Amino acid sequence: MFLDPRVIILFGTNALLLFLSLLVNSSLASFSLYLVLLGPMLVLPALYLNHRSFFLCILTSGLWVDAALPATFGLFTCGFLVLGTLISLARIRFRAEHNYHPILLAHAANLFCIALLTIAAGQNHFSVLLTTLISHVALLVVAPWFFNLERLLFELCHVDTEPDDFPML
Amino acid sequence: MAKLRLDKFKPIVALGLFLAAWWILPAVAKSFVRVSFTEFQAPAWVAASYLDDLEGFWARRSHSKIELIEAGQELARQKAFYQLLDQRNKTLETEVTRLESILKLPSRREFRYEIARVIRRDLSAWWQQIIIRKGEDYGITEGAAVIFSGGVVGRVVEVNAFTSRVELVTSPNFRMAASFESDGRPVVFQGVPQSGFGTPAGEVRDAPQDLIANTQHPLRLVSTRLGGTFPPGLMIGNVTWLEPGSSGIFQAGEVLLDARLLSLNEVSVLIPLNPLDFDRDVP
Repeated sequence: MFLDPRVIILFGTNALLLFLSLLVNSSLASFSLYLVLLGPMLVLPALYLNHRSFFLCILTSGLWVDAALPATFGLFTCGFLVLGTLISLARIRFRAEHNYHPILLAHAANLFCIALLTIAAGQNHFSVLLTTLISHVALLVVAPWFFNLERLLFELCHVDTEPDDFPML
Repeated sequence: MAKLRLDKFKPIVALGLFLAAWWILPAVAKSFVRVSFTEFQAPAWVAASYLDDLEGFWARRSHSKIELIEAGQELARQKAFYQLLDQRNKTLETEVTRLESILKLPSRREFRYEIARVIRRDLSAWWQQIIIRKGEDYGITEGAAVIFSGGVVGRVVEVNAFTSRVELVTSPNFRMAASFESDGRPVVFQGVPQSGFGTPAGEVRDAPQDLIANTQHPLRLVSTRLGGTFPPGLMIGNVTWLEPGSSGIFQAGEVLLDARLLSLNEVSVLIPLNPLDFDRDVP
């Protein structure tokens, strides 16, 4: 099949995570707090999907994030693809069926996204540090929930629940 | 000797090709993709906003009749007060128009006020923007001024079919001409990166040397008609301290902005009735 049906599920959950995080951020605005929860979006696509499906899923997710956030258009599209490709190439080293490795990867990817934003926009260091701290505390709760939701949707939709073949190393 | 497998480089080659294609893609194509994705997402935000309104409606429905009667009485008092103010305002307007015609002053810019709900606040270390529930469907224009009961909110930076994005005064990308209430000389206001957990702040530059500000007598910074975007006299913030700027000729200081800017629910967009024609209006 040209399109793995899991692409739609993973893209849908990414859009849901973005929508919910922006809703929370909108409510937290009066406290001058902001959560960046983009890291988990590219972990399971990179660990589960074959290269073609991964590329499609991450490309649409990146464009979706770029359209929603006021950052330079293309920042997350290109950033997600670069980091996702790196994770995808090294995925034989990670166990996708449990949450431990995906959570660590989600934190690393989230840090990458924050660094990307800071390099692109370059802002107050204290504020960036505060955002990083609260985002990663929130990610401790959000990431396991998000990965379990994605796996649950795989089961509910009767699609393959195992990662695709590993890339040749 | 093991045979070199080239297929493992396929993802890197694909990534390289995509990045090269993205780099050479015309700005028009990127803009089209951006607008398409934004418009596709907009209904979700508009729907969430309407659901929020519905929640508020049902919350108000649960109030007792006594509470509603008291609120009605309070509103009636407020209305009577504002009717008096309106009469006085009309008298003053007539007087101003008469004096302007005597002095042959150029006509002022007139605005149409479009009230809009805030559907999303994006206030982070990297950007300071809000999204409102009105766009091209209500004639919102790019660059239009946005205000609220506390004064200046910002400027419209992007207009979509049903939503618009507003850059707040707190954003480092926001700059406008201003003046102190008791002093007509123009100064420059600019947003600064927000520190978080604090009240919103901005920066005033190019203030004359003879101005003195302190916490007992803060100076009120207001908008001017210079630039043509904002009507004069709208509150921007208070300045409690001025010190010599980097040039040594003028003073600079921090502007304390209204804390309600961080929790706005409704704003007003000022749409010019006679948009500026730079070929005609600029000397």
